[in-house]
Amino acid sequence: MNAEPQICHEAADCSGSSERRVGLLPPHHREPRGSAALEDRAATRVGFGIAEVNAMVGGLIRQGRPLAVVLAALCQLFDASVKGCSSSVLLLDRTGARVRDAGGSGLPASYMKQLAIPAAAPGLRLHEVSPILSLTGEPLGIFAVYQRDSNPDLRRCHSALIAQFTYVASAAIERMRGDEALKRSAALLERTQQLSSTCCFSWRPETDEISWSKELCQLFELDATDVPLTLELIGARIHSEDLASFHEMIERARNGANDFEFEHRIRLPDNSVKYLRVVAHQTRDQEGQLEYIGAVQDVTHRRHTEETLAKLRAELARAARVTSLGVLTATIAHEVNQPLAGIVTNAGTCRRMLAVDPPDVEGARETARRMIRDAERASEVIKRLRTLFCKKGTACESLDLNEATREVIALSLSELERNKVLVRTEFAGELPPAQGDQVQLQQVILNLLLNASDAMSGVDDRPRQLVIRTERDGEDRVRLSVRDIGIGFEPQGAERLFDAFYTTKSGGMGIGLWVSRSIVESHKGRLWAAPNEGPGATFSFSIPCGPRDITTSLTGARNFGVIRTSAGKNAEERHERSL
Amino acid sequence: MKIKRALVSVVDDDESMRESLPDLLKELGYSVRAFSSAEEFLASDCVAETRSLILDIAMPGMTGPDLQHELTLRGHEIPIIFITALTDETVRTRLLEQGAVECLFKPFSDTALFEALNIAFRVH
Repeated sequence: MNAEPQICHEAADCSGSSERRVGLLPPHHREPRGSAALEDRAATRVGFGIAEVNAMVGGLIRQGRPLAVVLAALCQLFDASVKGCSSSVLLLDRTGARVRDAGGSGLPASYMKQLAIPAAAPGLRLHEVSPILSLTGEPLGIFAVYQRDSNPDLRRCHSALIAQFTYVASAAIERMRGDEALKRSAALLERTQQLSSTCCFSWRPETDEISWSKELCQLFELDATDVPLTLELIGARIHSEDLASFHEMIERARNGANDFEFEHRIRLPDNSVKYLRVVAHQTRDQEGQLEYIGAVQDVTHRRHTEETLAKLRAELARAARVTSLGVLTATIAHEVNQPLAGIVTNAGTCRRMLAVDPPDVEGARETARRMIRDAERASEVIKRLRTLFCKKGTACESLDLNEATREVIALSLSELERNKVLVRTEFAGELPPAQGDQVQLQQVILNLLLNASDAMSGVDDRPRQLVIRTERDGEDRVRLSVRDIGIGFEPQGAERLFDAFYTTKSGGMGIGLWVSRSIVESHKGRLWAAPNEGPGATFSFSIPCGPRDITTSLTGARNFGVIRTSAGKNAEERHERSL
Repeated sequence: MKIKRALVSVVDDDESMRESLPDLLKELGYSVRAFSSAEEFLASDCVAETRSLILDIAMPGMTGPDLQHELTLRGHEIPIIFITALTDETVRTRLLEQGAVECLFKPFSDTALFEALNIAFRVH
């Protein structure tokens, strides 16, 4: 029972929590129903005007009294104004199907319990019933006035007064219901924000006026109770690496960019980092001022999951690569060891046959024959292996070397990212289509990329930059080069790099470049390596481009000249990607 | 009277081994029989007579270790020298733990084989 006993004895029904906050529209917002003349007369007669009633009711509302208390006070005021009268407010519930008592202090308990509009009760006679209507004419309830005993004056002017009170009651009920809806909506919003880890804000670029939800302040760990929120205050939380793009976004928004959406990180006082996703919608307020309404979502958890996933994927790819190479190496070793074992055993036998007296020349000759046979078998294994990688070389198709390279870069991004490699592409425009097996050539490109990345794994004093360049190579060839700034190699060792089982890497099998060269050679191309002038090395291959018709040939020739003279300026794209 | 030489059996699916090993073993003073599979060896009349077995690990059908297991089940305690073209120390360690005399990685020298055979005949 929250209602005050002296005002409303039996108002338990309407003192529920949803009806506690009652607001009242200011008087100028609506005109009272009923004639102005009657109103004046009534006001004169009872000694106060509608303004006082409004003030009293408004005061109660401001105090946060429940609607029942407000309406009971209203009834009490009416009862005090008109001798011998008792009034009551019956509220219609939202469905309009039921009325319930909402106030009326001067009526007996038996009346209250009936919860209907009794025409009469012991000692009471219904004097007037006034429907309480909303602004749009929806019935909200009933203001009922009962006559106690007999009052000769009653009939004269109270219709106007009743109209006044009905109006105040309707304003109070409507305001209360509006408040309730607002409150419910706010509670819903808050709950939704919690559920989706989302906070909201609004920002006016012209005045830099920012309003943030409580949750957003909590997310940023900012105390905005004492100081107003400023962009500087927010900027101080933005992760240093994202600050530039944050300011860029602010600038774009100031210039009236449309809706925007971006992700950035914030660094909190305890040095922890959160990933936020911001979505803002551009709008204009009533004065036509630019305003952005937005939502900020904490996507830290998702980002961490994504990062873990990417790392796992990279590890899996690496494991698969190492496994396939490991299996391949084991197979090669097995295939070669078998004939080698034969050779060694035969050699041992041969020596023993020749050591006896008399020497078993015939037996020794037989072992020598077997040794030659086994040696040829070993050599056959190596040949077979090389052709294994070149088998599909005959599958000749037209391919875009730039596009093929882009695909490889996309595939190896996570691996390169793990090694903190900065990839720059310098792709020549209007590169004629190369001829060959795209998948095989992509294996070569992948191998060169990963080799370059591995060669830079120990470099910490300079950015691990890797440049992939495509260009024309003479009239009828295209060339791809991969330049790194890694450990490089001795100039005289350039050819050894391509030997099978030659490796400089601790975990390397030493067959990548050897296989790559086999593939390129099967394309009638060439694969070579050169030390850079600075640190690192450049690996390049050059393969023939397809048969061209006269037009292509001429265009190609012109392009060739241009590219050769100023390759940098005419490169189709020159973008840098931080990995 | 001629002294009967001890029988060493070779089981390997690789033909050059089946050709070269018997000649070497004969030079070392043993009597030799070669088989291209474990099944062929088990089906032969040499099992009981074999004093030492030179056995390839990886073979189609029954592998070397399978044969070792089968021989144990049948109650034949033949000293085994495994030979393999795959260099894998963990496999070697495991086989030695399971009672093999030696495990030689191909290619192996005649001396290494001779030493292994000496151990096989000394122990058993």
